[in-house]
Amino acid sequence: MRGLDSILYESIVYLTPTLLCVLGGIFAYKANVLNIALEGMMLAGAFVSVLVAHSHENKLFLAYLAAFAVCIFLGLVFSVLGVTLKGNVIIIGLAINMLVPAVAGFVMKLMSLASIPVKWFSTNSIMISIPVIRDIPILGPLFSGHPPITYISYLLILVMYLLMYKTKFGVHVRVVGENEDAAINLGLNTKKYKILAVLIGAGCCGLAGTDLALERLSLYTNNMTAGRGFIAIAAIYCGRGDPLKCTLYAILFSITNAVAEYFSLLVSASLLLKVVPYVVMVVVLSAASALNRRNSRTRGAFSEN
Amino acid sequence: MRNHIGKKIINSILPVALAFTIGGIIIALLGSNPFEVYGVMIRKSLMEMKGITRTLQLASPLLLTGIAISLCFKANIFNMGIEGQLVFGGFMAGIFGSYVTIPNPVLHILLCFAVGIACALAFALIPAVLRAYYHVDEMVVTLVLNYAMAKVLEYLSTSVFRDAGSGYVCTPAVQKTAKFFLLGKTKMTAFVFVSFAVFLIISFIMTRTKLGYSIEALGKNPDFAEATGLHSRKKVMTLMLLSGAVSGIAGTGWMLAEKTFYTLDFSGSPGLGWDGMLIALLGRHSPAGIFVAAIFYSALKTGSEKIGLYTDVPNEIVSVIQGLMILFLSIQFLDERFGLFEKLKQKKADKEG
Repeated sequence: MRGLDSILYESIVYLTPTLLCVLGGIFAYKANVLNIALEGMMLAGAFVSVLVAHSHENKLFLAYLAAFAVCIFLGLVFSVLGVTLKGNVIIIGLAINMLVPAVAGFVMKLMSLASIPVKWFSTNSIMISIPVIRDIPILGPLFSGHPPITYISYLLILVMYLLMYKTKFGVHVRVVGENEDAAINLGLNTKKYKILAVLIGAGCCGLAGTDLALERLSLYTNNMTAGRGFIAIAAIYCGRGDPLKCTLYAILFSITNAVAEYFSLLVSASLLLKVVPYVVMVVVLSAASALNRRNSRTRGAFSEN
Repeated sequence: MRNHIGKKIINSILPVALAFTIGGIIIALLGSNPFEVYGVMIRKSLMEMKGITRTLQLASPLLLTGIAISLCFKANIFNMGIEGQLVFGGFMAGIFGSYVTIPNPVLHILLCFAVGIACALAFALIPAVLRAYYHVDEMVVTLVLNYAMAKVLEYLSTSVFRDAGSGYVCTPAVQKTAKFFLLGKTKMTAFVFVSFAVFLIISFIMTRTKLGYSIEALGKNPDFAEATGLHSRKKVMTLMLLSGAVSGIAGTGWMLAEKTFYTLDFSGSPGLGWDGMLIALLGRHSPAGIFVAAIFYSALKTGSEKIGLYTDVPNEIVSVIQGLMILFLSIQFLDERFGLFEKLKQKKADKEG
């Protein structure tokens, strides 16, 4: 039972940043501006939150705010280059993914630090423990003892679902992505919707980074996101941008990861187990693509559905 | 036509200039003289015999990864797997080179290349099949497989193939018979010639053969290409496997000529495959452009190895400049088909009409 609890708790630790990236990324996916910079933006959030906390003692709020602001800024850079100037969004995404660790590495070298610690801050101080629930076996590790952003991410599942399907904004974003000409004929400002979609993703990445670095470890090491952004993109692809389906895939990947981590402590070939989540992801992605296309008749390797 | 090439060149040079300007401002803010720093980089990489040959040596794997990326990107296949295929090919070639004894150096090196190519091909086969026959998004799959491969190699090098005599994680060095040695007093090896030869062959395929033509066709309009009888599935397989083989050669060469054993930072940071991506973009996917970009980029690398020694600025500034370069390369400053001037005219005409 202890084992199960610890696996569940670790799943949530892994899930929160991934889920936030997924929930933010679906809008860009639906608006047809694929944002593969999720990884870099999340890393930027992680870096800035810890950097600000490191240099400003007892100003936790400032760290949250700075991380969010920097990610919105990166989102703006992405939108200006990709939407306004019509650059290649995949290349912009790659560039941001490369630029963020480069800048972080450069700053850390200037500070002569191999990793940035936050000495005055203990992560335990912000963990929210919920009285009755924390004693219930399976629910306890899922819903109690997590930092604030984890609860925000739970809430965002619902918010993003409503935003996507129950508001005018959501409808318009989807129209822009599905048929841009139709959207223009309707008189929609397609650029505005694309930019907002990218910015939603960027903001969520800021939260994700803050959770990953500041809230969980109060430490920044370079490249600590370790592919979570791409796992999020895989989840978005598997669930085809539907908030609930994508969430399920994110949960699946997180549990796989936590199980692999848990057993890696017990077995000697522990490093090899770390491959498992990635392999599961490729398999699930392939299966999801195959299922999604089961009923479509297409020619060639490039045709759309 | 001449105008067209001119715009292509400007489109490549402007982002580079912009990135260097921003880099220069950062250096100036740190209190160093940017001209001095860039001066050291140029002097140490292009002005001295040692520097030039070192630049060529560093350029040789990049020529190959650059053209491997172009092969796929030009045909609208966003294959990011070059990095993973390169490290796998290099790793296995290194293992073969150190564990198998063959007295004849030529044979040993050839067999190492065979192993490296075969392994990289096998690893490229997974995304190729998934992409061509199951329509799985190649970008996500290849990115994820890169992470998976990094973990597998981390496992293999820390346990199965670890060099017990070494203080850190690495595999045993390849035997003398499998090594490329430095030529004379220079800083380059015969791998430079191997790489140039392979690069020329692939360039020939890209520009002068039917396969090269189908790359163009797929890149410009895949539906039309398919409708006119081009089997896009087969072509996707061919291109992804070909680029896998080329990355295998790059990885093997890097192992035998430069590293000689596998460490966790075998491919450097951000990695030879990613550098190749930048080079392909910088060269706008044309062989001549890739060649110039690879040399330019390696000069940057050679220079960055020296920045830390001769100035107070950390080497990492070069990665920042690289990132900025890619960022600016994503947009076209000048439209390649219609010039800025024609565009303005068009706008004016639209307004009047």
